[in-house]
Amino acid sequence: MRNAWLVAGREYGENVRTKGFWIGILIFPILITIGIKAESWLERVKPTRNFVVVDQSGKFDSAIETALARLQEKAIAREFQSYMTRYSATPKTPTAEQSDQMKAGQAAKVDFEQMSEAEAKGTIAFTLISGGLKPNAPPFETPRSLFRQVPAPEGVDTTVAPGAIAEALRPFLRGDRKITVDGEEAELFATLIIPKDVDALVERPGEKRKKRVDRDGAQFWSTNLADSDLREELERAINEEQRRVEYVARGLDGKTVEAVQQTKVPLARFDPKKAAGAEEVSIADQIRQWAPAGFVYLLWISIFSISQMLLNNTIEEKSNRLIEVLLSSVTSWELMVGKLVGIAGVGMTMLGAWLGFLVAILAINSGPEAKVATSLLEVLKTSGLLPAFVVYFLLGYLLYGAIFLALGSVCNTLKEAQNMMQPVVLIMIVPLMTMMFIPKDPNGTLATVLSWIPIYTPFVMMNRAAASPPMFEIVGTSVLLALTVAFTLWLSGRIFRIGVLRTGQPPKLMELVNWLRS
Amino acid sequence: MSEPVLVLDRLKKTFGDFTAVHEMSLTVPRGSVYGFLGPNGAGKTTTLRMTLAIYAPTSGSISILGHPSALEVRDRIGYLPEEKGLYKKMTGRDLIAYFASLKGMKGRDARVRAGELLDKYGLGEFKDRKCEALSKGMGQKVQVLASIAHRPEFVIFDEPFSGLDPVNQQVLEDVIRDLQRDGTTIIFSTHIMEHAERLCDRLVLIARGRMLFDGTVPEARRMIPRRLIIQTQVNPEALRHVTGVTGLRALGKDDKFEVTLAEGADADRVLAACFQNGISLRSFDRSEPNLRDVFLKLVGAEDAEEVLS
Repeated sequence: MRNAWLVAGREYGENVRTKGFWIGILIFPILITIGIKAESWLERVKPTRNFVVVDQSGKFDSAIETALARLQEKAIAREFQSYMTRYSATPKTPTAEQSDQMKAGQAAKVDFEQMSEAEAKGTIAFTLISGGLKPNAPPFETPRSLFRQVPAPEGVDTTVAPGAIAEALRPFLRGDRKITVDGEEAELFATLIIPKDVDALVERPGEKRKKRVDRDGAQFWSTNLADSDLREELERAINEEQRRVEYVARGLDGKTVEAVQQTKVPLARFDPKKAAGAEEVSIADQIRQWAPAGFVYLLWISIFSISQMLLNNTIEEKSNRLIEVLLSSVTSWELMVGKLVGIAGVGMTMLGAWLGFLVAILAINSGPEAKVATSLLEVLKTSGLLPAFVVYFLLGYLLYGAIFLALGSVCNTLKEAQNMMQPVVLIMIVPLMTMMFIPKDPNGTLATVLSWIPIYTPFVMMNRAAASPPMFEIVGTSVLLALTVAFTLWLSGRIFRIGVLRTGQPPKLMELVNWLRS
Repeated sequence: MSEPVLVLDRLKKTFGDFTAVHEMSLTVPRGSVYGFLGPNGAGKTTTLRMTLAIYAPTSGSISILGHPSALEVRDRIGYLPEEKGLYKKMTGRDLIAYFASLKGMKGRDARVRAGELLDKYGLGEFKDRKCEALSKGMGQKVQVLASIAHRPEFVIFDEPFSGLDPVNQQVLEDVIRDLQRDGTTIIFSTHIMEHAERLCDRLVLIARGRMLFDGTVPEARRMIPRRLIIQTQVNPEALRHVTGVTGLRALGKDDKFEVTLAEGADADRVLAACFQNGISLRSFDRSEPNLRDVFLKLVGAEDAEEVLS
């Protein structure tokens, strides 16, 4: 057995020293990090969006300002939330006041987006004063504005009918032409056109609905209707302004209206489930349901890629006849076992690194604001998915590794091997296709039937792992799988023994059967 | 006399309908250098593979270092296969050490030994170069060294000289001589007659799966008549009557004639006869028959051409 270990050691050493291996290891945490951070990064790199307001009525200047200010508040609030996630130091023994504040904050889920700028600033100030930050925290930086009002581009007549203005601005909005802002070219993101007779178009309850003319009312033009922040804020601000005007028209003092509008019954939001910690669990449940699918994918990728390594280096040894030297030193069985063990080590190292990175990244990023990461971490720690993964990885790898080794042993070139691999690959694709169906009905007929087919057992049972399939099935399928693995290894051993020394055409099926008999 | 290193007894190997090796019997004494000669497809490699238990013989038996299978004594055997290959990504030193450790050497000893061998045979500065960066000849030397690093008692080289330039061929000859001096038993197959002639104590000649000859180099030479090549412008017919001369023929160019001699005949008599008969010689070449000639005779022109080409 010493020789098998030596072979294993060499295989491990050689594969672990390749660049591809390290790239494979490092790309995974990078992808995960990107996945987690992408949203905030995208937010940060989003260019400042320019919009033109053509207000022919001349009534809404202040409303537009209000809208812009609110957008900026939102941005500040978002930035502050992530700032606090990163730098807030939870006091070990909070003062009564802090503790109250924290409780209130948690219970009410302090919602900066609903706050006015003043309130947001107040909260920020409070937190900063109350020493709730880590000592090394950098000062909070106000984010730049995401939106900017610009004048209509030169040559666009803003006094004509709204339809004509829109036509004139169309090439700018579609990106065919650029506008010039502060001497630099920029894209026009949106245009708001408010017609001169907007008063006449205002809809009031009780009044007869006005006859709709084409493109009546205020018009918001943008090729990007998915980013609705700007449109929503403009609409809200314009309507507030309109309503204020209406109040005044009905004899109410503008100041009074404003004051009344700002009165507020504080409303804290509570979730009845939350007391029992149930709200968290619902996310965890989702994760519990879907995480196995992720693991199936990981299992598939890792088994397939490292079995491929076995195939490749068997063919390498065969094609340069190293196999003969090896076989004068070790038995074919020792060689095969050594290869299987060595490459298994490569796979375990890779998966170990991946899972380590996954847990580490989740741990770093988890926190009150990253519920998914936190819950996923929790699920990984408690659910038994990881041990199941290791077991199914090993059994699945041995099964497919044995098949690929036997394949490699009868081929002389990679090309030959690829031809022979096609059916294997087709068979292997099935668990990928069922991967997303099985969590929906994890103990249904399809899942049960596939579980009992040994070549699919590792993937399908992994897929079902979180749905607590009947113990009988877990044990039964595992035993069947283990027996199949043993049988396949024996079979492959025989093919390997004869195949590795063979040159010329790969054998016909009947020939293979004869080998097995001999 | 210690027991022979290798005894093959009526060894036979068939692949389907094809008989690669017909019943072959052979005894390799300890400490000898044994040459396997024969054209391609003669069954040399198959015989060597059976010897190494890479192939199981169809019938017949093997006794190698006193054991029926090389598997039981594989740590005491070194093998260099015909087709040479290396792990491209390993360094020469690592590769030699790896194969030595597969043969039972301790890891650290194997590394030290690998370094020593590389130094000794002129590859010291390439020790830590990856095999893919070595020239073909260097790679082949690394492989030779890998097969002997564990100090085997019995070494089997399959075509060790093929693909080597003359300088490296000389290095390989040195390797073989060094091994011989240390008492190692060596079998090697080759196409190059000169190496066999220079290095071998005994020869085996194989063609079409059959053994045609097994004996020492002088015995092989005796397989064909001894001959002299004389060059003269006088008609040498008179030499036919000299005792021990069995034949005379013109070689057709440069006034050369071939005089064949009976076994044990004295070439000096022919020389004396030349003087007595006034045959003035421009050259007198008492060349021993070389293995090439033996080959031609035993294997037949058709197969021999392939071997000697």
